[in-house]
Amino acid sequence: MSDLILILAGLFLPLFPLSMVFNEVFSRFTNRNHRIAFLVLWPQIGVFLIFVSGAQIPAWIASWGLLTALLYGVRLLAIREMQLWISFLATSSWAILWITLQYSGENSPVYLYTLGFSVPLVLLLFLSEELKARFGAAYTGLYGGLALTQPRFSGVFVMVVLAVIATPLFPAFFTMLETIFVSAPVSMWAAIFVGVVWLLWSWAGARLIQGLIVGPATEIQVPDLSKDSTKKYSAILVALVVLGLLALGGLP
Amino acid sequence: MEKLVILLPLIPLISALATHLWAKQLGRQVAKVSVNASILTFAVSVLLLVLMLSYDVAGQISFGGSWGILLADPLSVLMAVVIAGISMIVRIYSVRYMIEEEGYGRFFVLLDLMAVSLFLMVTAGDLITMLISWHAIGVLLYFLLGYDTRSASAYRYAFWTLLTYRIGDIAMVIAAGLLYHAYGTWSLSEIFSQLAANPNAHYYFGMPLPNIVGYLLAIAAFARSAQFLLHTWLPYTMGGPTPVSALMHAGIVNAGGFLINRFAPVFVHTGDVLHWLFIIGLITAVVGSVLMLTQNDIKKALGYSTMGQMGFMIMECGVGAFSLAIYHLIAHGLFKGTLFLGAGSVINEARKDDGVPKEDLYTFVVERKPVRQKQPWLVMAAITLIVPIFVLILAHWLVAQDFFQKQGAIVLLFFGWVTGAHLIFATYRMGSQNVWRLVGLIIFSFAIIVLGYAVISHAFDLFLYPDPEFRSQIYTAANIDVFWFDVLVVLVTMIMVLGWLARYYTEKNRNQTSKHLNSLWMSFYALVSREFYFNDIYAWLSRFILKFANQLNVWLRWR
Repeated sequence: MSDLILILAGLFLPLFPLSMVFNEVFSRFTNRNHRIAFLVLWPQIGVFLIFVSGAQIPAWIASWGLLTALLYGVRLLAIREMQLWISFLATSSWAILWITLQYSGENSPVYLYTLGFSVPLVLLLFLSEELKARFGAAYTGLYGGLALTQPRFSGVFVMVVLAVIATPLFPAFFTMLETIFVSAPVSMWAAIFVGVVWLLWSWAGARLIQGLIVGPATEIQVPDLSKDSTKKYSAILVALVVLGLLALGGLP
Repeated sequence: MEKLVILLPLIPLISALATHLWAKQLGRQVAKVSVNASILTFAVSVLLLVLMLSYDVAGQISFGGSWGILLADPLSVLMAVVIAGISMIVRIYSVRYMIEEEGYGRFFVLLDLMAVSLFLMVTAGDLITMLISWHAIGVLLYFLLGYDTRSASAYRYAFWTLLTYRIGDIAMVIAAGLLYHAYGTWSLSEIFSQLAANPNAHYYFGMPLPNIVGYLLAIAAFARSAQFLLHTWLPYTMGGPTPVSALMHAGIVNAGGFLINRFAPVFVHTGDVLHWLFIIGLITAVVGSVLMLTQNDIKKALGYSTMGQMGFMIMECGVGAFSLAIYHLIAHGLFKGTLFLGAGSVINEARKDDGVPKEDLYTFVVERKPVRQKQPWLVMAAITLIVPIFVLILAHWLVAQDFFQKQGAIVLLFFGWVTGAHLIFATYRMGSQNVWRLVGLIIFSFAIIVLGYAVISHAFDLFLYPDPEFRSQIYTAANIDVFWFDVLVVLVTMIMVLGWLARYYTEKNRNQTSKHLNSLWMSFYALVSREFYFNDIYAWLSRFILKFANQLNVWLRWR
């Protein structure tokens, strides 16, 4: 029974090929609020199921999670459409939590770790919607040079991307530290692969930034992010840093 | 006194916030905020150094949690002075240099944040603070190098830097995880004291903890200090503004040497890792220097020169001369920073006069100047070989008589001798209207440098590692079997002497070299001019991964 629950959890903390279900469903949602709810709640259900089952996560499932994270990390490099990018990064980051769960178990604040991955992704979702509203599509490489025409949007966008790829001092950074810390003494390979996944996120994040904000100014005239919105995004990012430091920065 | 350490990251942090908030109101004047903050930080760092030298009081300050400890010890204070000094000069230089650039305020905010991260790195008293600052430096450097958002190429190479740094970051995170698991604390001083009490108490994956941590930290240092195979980012990151190049080459790239010194209590138990450091450092020094000689772009040549110098720095750590590596990184930082900041003027001058020496006949007939003189080879060879070794031995004997009993010292003397010999050798080849005057001046300069180097590095040794037993332990850890040491010394000497003889032979038979030898030489030159194809291989590899990722997406229908 507990194995069955674990497999079911593999749908929510996506394990390949069950991860394809998540990506399919996510792509079908058109309503923003549904997507937000989906990004926040979906992985929490997975964590909940694992805790409910009370089962020790078998090593093969954790390895499967790691390979899923690696697979989606690699695939993320070639993604140019932002919604898909968010969906793939979500898959990769949630899948890595299997390793965290296997080695640190119920003592670690996995619900918070999951939230630490989800909230910045929600912010990125908002920004992708902003891009869609202005350019008709949120797609890297179509219209570069946003740094010159939309400095406020670019500033916020860069910070949000840094948050999703687990840069210090955002919450995901501490999650990644914890995952490597708990896996390294037991399995050097697991720690190395977690590190490689992290590196792939950085690579993908840099490509995303370079595809949107770098380059000569686009000729399309669209308004920049409003000052109010910029303040709101900044406040949420600051809150993320503070909460990350307080809630997750304690580390073991 | 240790409370003053908080000011080091705090002042630039406040400056970054103020610059960001006032950038619009103050316009170009906003730079003054950053410049004044940098002057104040420099003053604080100097004050700390003076206090440290006067009262010899090391300490640490904690923010109360399980991490967030700042150290005030000789290494952190010394490095803080260097960082504060260099970043102050860079900011003052940038005030006018960047005046016409867009995002003027953003540039100073980034410089301030970089200073915050660098100060946190050198003063970090725990693993988490160290990891945060180490990681943040890579990210900030990415944005500093890609300051010109219109330049896709600047971002491409900034990205290479970021990716290489990330490799080192991961190694460091794993090392930190193992140290925490073994000792149950993030505090560096607690870890080091437990490690000193029983170095081989913990084994991971069949290796003693110091060894495995040493290897991982070495990888982190290699990535940060552009060591062989992780070096390609360094010469190509010239797309960034010149002040950033200066800051990077004078400060950031030296982090590898700092890291090894910070973790000296780990490395002192890892002879194998030290030997590995020596080998990688040696290869880097040779490859960097060879590549530097073949560049026709001054900034790229400086990039490879930095790589060579970083190789020497790591090599010094490999022979146990840890404090010498710190002195080296400071000296290198100062002269390389000067070179970068002066590169623009040199290019400007070169546009007016290329500075290429004229042929003897042209000098004599057109410029009516006496022809350059050359002295007999044998006399010059004798001077070349004997004078440097005499100067080196005398200088080191004056500083510490027992210096020659350490293998590491012999290796360094050997390198000093080869460098000195080459210097005089090059002088002979240059030719001059008054050879003896030129040789005399060079020998005098060499003696001053060697004496200064010996005295200052000895002072650094006493300041950074006051415990003579610990100093001796580091050198002992770096030792190898005496027989193999002697064999290596003889072998390397033979290679050097053969090299000189080959050079002599080529000089004498300039027009009679064989076709086979010429073709071999040209092939080597082609290889060097393509920078040993490392960049091409890495570029191909990244293209392959991207293509593979795309293919995977197609196969899996983008889900």
